[in-house]
Amino acid sequence: MSALHLAPDDRPRSLETMLRIVARIQRRSALTWVLVLGASLVGTAAGVAALYDTTAKIHTYAAAVTTGSTLVAINGKVEGIDSLGGVIQDEFGFMVAFLMPLLGISLVARATRREEECGRLELLLGGRIARHDPTVAALLVTTATIVSTAGLFAAGLALFGVPLAGSVLYALSVGGLAFVFAGLAALLAQLTLHSRGVYTWSLIILAASYALRGVGDVTNTWVTWLSPLGWAEKAAPFGDQRWWTLVIPLAAGLALGAAASWLAGRRDLGSALVRGGTGPDRASARLRSPIGFAVWIHRPAILGWLAGGVLLTGMMGALSHQFLGAMAGNPALAQAIGIGNGPPMDGLVAATQLYLAVIAAGYLVQAVGTLRREEGDGRLETRLSGVLSRNRWLASHAVVLLGGLMTIVLISSLVLGLATALSAGDMAEFGPALLSGLAYLPAELVLAGVALAVYGMRPRLFGIVWAGYAAMTFIAFLGPGLNFPQWALDLSPTTQVGNPPMGAVQSGALIALSALAGVLVAVGFAAFRRRGVPQN
Amino acid sequence: MTDTAPVIRVEGLTKNFGRVRALDGLDLTVRRGEVHGFLGPNGSGKSTTIRVLLGLIKATSGRVELFSGDPWRDAPRLHRRLAYVAGDVALWPGLTGGQCLDVLGSTHGAFDERRRADLVEQFQLNPTTRVRDYSKGNRQKVALVAALAADAELLVLDEPTSGLDPLMEQTFQRCVRDRRETGVTVLLSSHIMGEVEALADQVTIIRRGRTVTSGTLSDMRRHTRTVVRAVTMADPGVLTDIEGLADHQRERLAELTDSRFTIDTAHLDTAIGRLHEAGIHTLTVTPPSLAALFLRSYGETPGPDESVGEESLAETGR
Repeated sequence: MSALHLAPDDRPRSLETMLRIVARIQRRSALTWVLVLGASLVGTAAGVAALYDTTAKIHTYAAAVTTGSTLVAINGKVEGIDSLGGVIQDEFGFMVAFLMPLLGISLVARATRREEECGRLELLLGGRIARHDPTVAALLVTTATIVSTAGLFAAGLALFGVPLAGSVLYALSVGGLAFVFAGLAALLAQLTLHSRGVYTWSLIILAASYALRGVGDVTNTWVTWLSPLGWAEKAAPFGDQRWWTLVIPLAAGLALGAAASWLAGRRDLGSALVRGGTGPDRASARLRSPIGFAVWIHRPAILGWLAGGVLLTGMMGALSHQFLGAMAGNPALAQAIGIGNGPPMDGLVAATQLYLAVIAAGYLVQAVGTLRREEGDGRLETRLSGVLSRNRWLASHAVVLLGGLMTIVLISSLVLGLATALSAGDMAEFGPALLSGLAYLPAELVLAGVALAVYGMRPRLFGIVWAGYAAMTFIAFLGPGLNFPQWALDLSPTTQVGNPPMGAVQSGALIALSALAGVLVAVGFAAFRRRGVPQN
Repeated sequence: MTDTAPVIRVEGLTKNFGRVRALDGLDLTVRRGEVHGFLGPNGSGKSTTIRVLLGLIKATSGRVELFSGDPWRDAPRLHRRLAYVAGDVALWPGLTGGQCLDVLGSTHGAFDERRRADLVEQFQLNPTTRVRDYSKGNRQKVALVAALAADAELLVLDEPTSGLDPLMEQTFQRCVRDRRETGVTVLLSSHIMGEVEALADQVTIIRRGRTVTSGTLSDMRRHTRTVVRAVTMADPGVLTDIEGLADHQRERLAELTDSRFTIDTAHLDTAIGRLHEAGIHTLTVTPPSLAALFLRSYGETPGPDESVGEESLAETGR
């Protein structure tokens, strides 16, 4: 069914219908994006406004982060960093560089290629929807989400005393960033066969943009202008305020979106320019064994979370020297990342290890969630209809989960130890960095135990595990900085560890946590053996 | 020793999901070496029965035996002797078809390499394509080839051909017959009548979690009517005096007579004798189709929510 076959008065109705469908499918994830992004910015702004409440403190901060080029490469070169808005832009720079593009990418990919590969788009295009309307509708709904997010950003900044013009320009510049990537995802959705391809290619382009922006900012050259992230930065909302730069992302996003709708109107449904390649015709012996197969299933998650852990520890380690300088100039900075009093280097390692524990626990929860998806998609049924017993299946996954956890924690801790040693010029922190990483293992395993127990008993309630993880993350990241009461801090298993190497490792607590994890895992195994499969 | 015992014995099986009763006193017996058609409308409990048989879910009450063992307690050991194709074939999108075959094969007891190669060729499967790029039919072929290549005593096939084209359906039927030749028992859940008719020796028809009827196809046909149409040289006259004959219609063509009637299978011989006397020119005898048997099984016991049944029967009429 082509757009040409629609009577002229049917055209707007086709788009309107499609808009309603996309809005209905997306409303929950769109709302989540708006709220989470809005809350993170408001949270960051509140934290920064409270910590840097005098011009002197802001000056110290600006001086600290502009010393050397490492932080510039990570957070970007913020013009007008000598202001409250500038500090917020800098603090939020890393988050925004990934979350805003991801908002655009995920909302568009979900509404276009994923619907097409599931066959639902075929159903709609069989009705009175023109071929290009799903793409247009997806872009419109995503744009509306971006505008709402930007609105919250501007209001949030203004609320904490950032000048209005700068707030609005900042919100629009990061909104433009999301818009470019929404357009890009719409185009990629026409070119690749699966939504996975849309994500992969968009994220590769995002990583390249990040690298280009970093190179440009560090070398102070025009290279920054090649990157969408550079366009947002060059708007300089708290510096020179170049409003005209907003035209670039707008034009780029519109051009990409127009190309996408043009393609959508002309290509065959279900077709793609880039098709996946072929693979081996036989499975290796490793893939045929239960553990080898579990490794294959969990490998992408292990590598992804490992990359996150290494990035975090490498960055913190490499910057440790500069951080120490910045903290010496501004004790509040130490307070903000939860280090407080004590040897600053130990404090930095302790804070990093706590963040690493959050990463490791996230990996565990996601990995157990993968088991749930195996079941929900019906593959577990096939798997268990052979000679593999439930115990062996779950045990092989548990072994791989544990192996993945060890890999992530050990390699990341090793990187932290080496990076701090290189940055500080001595090996004093190497041992403590490694040991404190290991000390968090029981706390992380408690979360794995909770996840396995819920999976074994009621996989449907798996959302509880994610909620628990979110609470743990919140307590770990913001608890110390926002002066939570001790009982609230104690709710998180990570608090029980004792904040090594700054605090002493609580060996009694580690034993208790290990025992708790063991009991939870046993409950998970026992319940899984007794329940029906599949159960969602 | 256990050779005489049925491969599958289910008696009075019930299964509740919360308040919903999915199985309500189901009986099913599958003997060694037979192809057993397992028929029922959508949602009648076929897949639930199979999951109980495989020990994936636990029966609420009733007796369930697989190879004389308890599938719930002894699943992995009993699974060594069977291969299963699920109704909704779900495979790992990132693996190639060939890799999936081997991964599935690794969970079956044993695996015949030569048969695997033959089947891949017969089903025209490209083993180097990723599963995510396969069509639904091709995914189904992967699961079928894996099951048929397994050295299993029992094949449990849950609507195995719903995504196959007619040519592949023929291939499937040929392969199932080949496997039966070697003594393999098959439980074939389906609502494609032609397929069951072509393959099955025994049939069990269920409805709303309960067995409606069970037996050989010929047993079932014995109680139903055969349609006869004959063109004869001479006029056979009025045939209504033959016992069990009905719906008689007669039409004179130029020199020939066209007679049509339905008749109880038991009295077919008498009727054909009469036609023979009149000199048969052409003769068509149509035994009752399974679809007719199926419809009859449902027609007899109209349930309280008949709409469900009708909807499903519309499906079976395809």
